[in-house]
Amino acid sequence: MLRGGLIPRRPYVISGASGTGKTILAMQFIVDGLKRGEPCMWVSLDEPPNELKANMATFGWNLDHLKILDATPDIRMHKRTRSVIDVGTTLDVRDMEEVKGIRVSQQLRSMEVSIHSVQKMLKQEFFQHRERTKENYQRMAIDSLTALKMFSLVGVDSRIMIQSFMRFLSELEATCIIVSEHLDTSVIETEFFLARGKMRLHKWLDGSSIRRAISIEKMRGSGFDDKMRPLTIGPNGVTVDPSGRVPLNTTVVHALGSQFLKTRIAEQVTVSIEKAFEMAEQCRHQGHDISHVQMDLTRAMLMIQMGQLHDAMDMVERVRLGMELLLKPKSEAPLPPPPPEEARGI
Amino acid sequence: MITNKQSTGIRGLDKMLHGGLVPGRAYIVSGPPGSGKTILSSQFLVDGVEGGERVLFVALEEPPNELKYNFRVFGWPIDGIEVLDANSDIRRFEPTPILEISTEEEPVRFSLIRDEIRKTPDVESHEVSVHSLQQLLKSLFIKRGYSRVVIDSMTALRYFCMKDFEENISTQSFMRFLAESKVTTLLTVETTEAMEMAPEAFLARGEIRLYRVRDESGIKRFISIEKYKGSTHDESIRPFDITPKGIVVHAG
Repeated sequence: MLRGGLIPRRPYVISGASGTGKTILAMQFIVDGLKRGEPCMWVSLDEPPNELKANMATFGWNLDHLKILDATPDIRMHKRTRSVIDVGTTLDVRDMEEVKGIRVSQQLRSMEVSIHSVQKMLKQEFFQHRERTKENYQRMAIDSLTALKMFSLVGVDSRIMIQSFMRFLSELEATCIIVSEHLDTSVIETEFFLARGKMRLHKWLDGSSIRRAISIEKMRGSGFDDKMRPLTIGPNGVTVDPSGRVPLNTTVVHALGSQFLKTRIAEQVTVSIEKAFEMAEQCRHQGHDISHVQMDLTRAMLMIQMGQLHDAMDMVERVRLGMELLLKPKSEAPLPPPPPEEARGI
Repeated sequence: MITNKQSTGIRGLDKMLHGGLVPGRAYIVSGPPGSGKTILSSQFLVDGVEGGERVLFVALEEPPNELKYNFRVFGWPIDGIEVLDANSDIRRFEPTPILEISTEEEPVRFSLIRDEIRKTPDVESHEVSVHSLQQLLKSLFIKRGYSRVVIDSMTALRYFCMKDFEENISTQSFMRFLAESKVTTLLTVETTEAMEMAPEAFLARGEIRLYRVRDESGIKRFISIEKYKGSTHDESIRPFDITPKGIVVHAG
């Protein structure tokens, strides 16, 4: 679907409702890197690493050498007197194989997470890793930015903080997948706006079974398959059928959220049809046979109702073009009375 | 009646605009992510370069090295386009010297852009504010005499560069500045799926709107002229494609 894969060293976003398979997809991207012997990093902001480990165990992937950064916040202290330490000061990066139980919040101090601290931690780890191994991290996944935004960033500056964070990720020069939920489609979320590509996962109920699909919404610098493709989560992870078709019924279309644009275009086509009807009236006055025109326009209206906007527009354009040809001689000889049955039109 | 219109570099779009753009004014190119705003505006610049004009791309969203890479697929002569890197650096949380963009950055030709991203220096960090960008552009317009400018994107400028300013007033003033500069400018504006109108649209002299609709056969793209002061224009929505040579509008 991506015509070969991702352009390296850029940040990308995976979005989708919960349970669509975002984390699994991101992990599969990491696993592929591990298999190639690339250094990879997982930043956990949502799920404590021990749970992630347990969840991923079912797929039988070897995650032993995945570096995992535990940036899940502690239980908040409600008493102001206790000292709060920034997660950035306690660098907690470890191999997945070392992950045991959940990190228990300490009695005296609690860790809070901010973009700043995550950034600091990553920078430190990237630097140390380069010192140790003379290698850069090649792949990174951040799961998820939504958590960070909802709990750690409140206020007007959040856009600028995310912008800066995206810039930071670009400068790290690892291919990065950010998991994020698109909660409100009427708001431009900074990470979607700035990411170089966006993959969207979909989920809907078909009868009594859950169906999943994936679509590429945006990919800078590369062409891509613009159709929605079926996605399944199996014992080996996520599988995408690159030639499968997803029937777009109303449920799915709604999940795509492009309702507004559809309405807007449907309106335009309707206007075109109205104009075409006016032209047809003109043609009729001039004595042309236009029964096929009326039939085509009715068909176009049906197409709008069925949501086939593109076809409807093509149809209307063709009909209008045909009628323009019929009406043309009139402008050359402006005769007000409609000419009688001359052999002008067919 | 205005004669001498400026081509957009896209034949079908010129036809929809009844000849092209009225020169010296600012226009909006709006649309959802992935609809082709950056490609459309770049094609406008390429057309200028091919006619021997001096043109400027102000990059606020993507680092120039990535833009250069992305444009390669179209095989355009982009080397002559000058690009101003107006991407802010990573913000600092400690007080460090912050350099305003106007004192630092200079547009360079795409041919000189390197493959790697510019790194934030360790001791200082460079920020872009609408005020400094405006000043920089002002002196550039005088010194270099650009005939076409693209600002990609106005949304980024609004979101990230108006921290200490009132957004609507700053936008208005920026548009006024462009009008006074008499440079033909395309401003890209990101719209959401549910947004009826881009907030900048009513300030611009024209709005070219891009649509992106998904149906069973894939993504369909459409284009319309929502507004065009001082000229008649095609009033219907037309389909367009992003081809290996750039945007092709099927204007009937």
